Amino acid sequence: MSAACHEPEAAYRTSGRPPPRALAGTLVIALAGRPNSGKSSLYNALTGGDAHVGNYPGITVDILEGSVTLPSGAAAVVADLPGFYSVEATVDKATDEGVARAFLDALKGGQRPHVIVQVLDPTRLALGLRLTRELLRARLPLVVVLTHRDVLQAEGHTIDVAALSEAIGAPVVLVNAREGATKAAVLAAVEDRQREGDEAQGAGTFDPARIAKGAVKDVGEATQLRRRQMTERLDAVLLHPVIGPFLFVGIMAAVFAAVFLVADPAASLMDLLIGLARVKITALVGKNLFSSFLADGLLGGAGTVLAFMPQIVILTVALELLEASGYLARGAFLVDRILRLMGLSGRSFLPLLMGHACAVPAIASTRIVRDPRERLTTILVIPLMTCSARLPTYGLVLATFFGHRSALFKALLFVGLYFAGILTALVASLVMRRTATRGKSLPLVLEIPSYRVPQPRVVARKAGQAARRFLRDVGTVILGVSAVLWVLLTVPMPGSSQPEGIERSVAATIGRTIEPITRPAGFDWRINVGLIGSFGAREVMVGTMGVIFGVENATDDPAPLTERLRDSKKADGTPVYTTASGLALLAFFVLACQCMSTVAAIRRETASWRWPAFVVAYTYVLGYAAAVLVYQVSTAFGIG
Amino acid sequence: MTPLLADAATGERVQIARVDLDGEAAAWIGAVGLNEGEVVVVLRRAALGGPLHVRTSSGGEFAVAREVARLITVTKPETP
Repeated sequence: MSAACHEPEAAYRTSGRPPPRALAGTLVIALAGRPNSGKSSLYNALTGGDAHVGNYPGITVDILEGSVTLPSGAAAVVADLPGFYSVEATVDKATDEGVARAFLDALKGGQRPHVIVQVLDPTRLALGLRLTRELLRARLPLVVVLTHRDVLQAEGHTIDVAALSEAIGAPVVLVNAREGATKAAVLAAVEDRQREGDEAQGAGTFDPARIAKGAVKDVGEATQLRRRQMTERLDAVLLHPVIGPFLFVGIMAAVFAAVFLVADPAASLMDLLIGLARVKITALVGKNLFSSFLADGLLGGAGTVLAFMPQIVILTVALELLEASGYLARGAFLVDRILRLMGLSGRSFLPLLMGHACAVPAIASTRIVRDPRERLTTILVIPLMTCSARLPTYGLVLATFFGHRSALFKALLFVGLYFAGILTALVASLVMRRTATRGKSLPLVLEIPSYRVPQPRVVARKAGQAARRFLRDVGTVILGVSAVLWVLLTVPMPGSSQPEGIERSVAATIGRTIEPITRPAGFDWRINVGLIGSFGAREVMVGTMGVIFGVENATDDPAPLTERLRDSKKADGTPVYTTASGLALLAFFVLACQCMSTVAAIRRETASWRWPAFVVAYTYVLGYAAAVLVYQVSTAFGIG
Repeated sequence: MTPLLADAATGERVQIARVDLDGEAAAWIGAVGLNEGEVVVVLRRAALGGPLHVRTSSGGEFAVAREVARLITVTKPETP
């Protein structure tokens, strides 16, 4: 379990599958539509964000569903399907379209009552009506919901809803998902549709372009046309062949730097608070084994990791704003050429970028990549992206060895670590497309959505979910590991020849056993214990160091962990850790896939153990080699 | 020489006449919005041989890789 993972907000959940909440007779309202049609906004409007994993026979991907009450008082569930363009074109089962299609087939062939709600962006009506036509041809009971009424009006258009409904032979509702009345209007239409039965709707024989032309009226006056001009002006700058790519790299660098600059003081403050809390605990309980367990084990471990929550929240908000505004699709347009050179395409861009928050939902999101080889390659390199679980270790190393440098220097180094991950992923992809995943790929066709103002409520909820998930993991996984580690660091190893104290503990003995392997990278037994502890979840590293130094220096003043690391000395008086060993640790963390949740996600998406084993092997080999190289070169250049 | 979407000038309106992809890929591209008969305007090109940014008469905007644009034959639109 990765503490820094997002609460997945897409159509799938990656955790275990709880028992089904909906009864067999409950109406299923399936939200279907093209990507970027406003499906997620409508799902939130209908369910208030309620989301649990539905249980649908034959569907291997988790589909999120939320409970609603229909106007008649009957219960129903709303299922959020992945976006798709067609139910008729042949598709790979592993992609979003394959999942959506399998879901609709299962509904059609099953016993549960169902109504399909097609979410349609009215500013692209003719495109959406193609899917409407296919859904009607498939004889699925359908309600069409046109979202973005506000955008439609702002663009100076109106839609004759009654005429459109008449022409396509299915009920049509025009809403703005941000308004409260949306839920009642949509659910009433759904219930009406269910009552009418299958016979009432059209056969899907209309011409989408002609119908759209007839239904949409341009009532735009000069002032209302400003929105259309604004999109064009924004694109002229953001997608400019020269300015666009520079702006893009600048925006990304600014996001990563902001994560560091805003969160750094928060981490320092938390460190200080933990120090004070230690003193308080010792004063209350006295200096004994129990106070050591509380102060050094639990507080030193879980508390230290907790300080990194602001970074995770900031990153989540930034990525969500970029995605919801429509900018990320434009980023895909800008970087497509570079990604093509590396054997990927603009389609892989979104999953790769999402990997900076957490690899687990990013790996699930590769289902938007239609090409199987490109999708596999993307999955295999996503673990190299700097996920937020690495941030605690980055923060600790930077504060320990570069604490005296300027904030700008630290921020640049921090951004450099992000780009090191990205560059390695690109090179790894290039190598893989010539070896493990070689073969011809389908080139890019990608829809570019309109610009949208992100909904503060949706962004805030996602940030809240990321924070809650992080807190939950700190309260369970990291707290648990910290407690176990405290025991292993306190219980002496039977038969150990070491003198009294922590050096004699079970954990220290294990760490010392692998020192010959890690010494060329400048790691000692303490870091080794941290590396073993963080094999399953890399954020455990900082907590582990907190526990080790807490137990080791239990009699000292409550100095921050960074000071304890910097000031620790070997028997001969030389420092245990140098800047070189700090840099080597960073190199290892940039590359190694220390995350069991990621391994499980790769296993699920590739349906084999071969690929997750491959990822663990190649990233650990790369990580170790880079750590040794960085340490040796740094030492040779006198960076001590 | 047959005119291709890849060769259309920026700002030029053209109509898709033929998509020379295999059946499955052509059907999917058609469902997405680039089907025969669709009128397309090339808005811009990404640098260094990157994708084309096009708008279709159905209202959609797309990034189309040069490789795909070279497989799409276009003509002058039937209607101005």
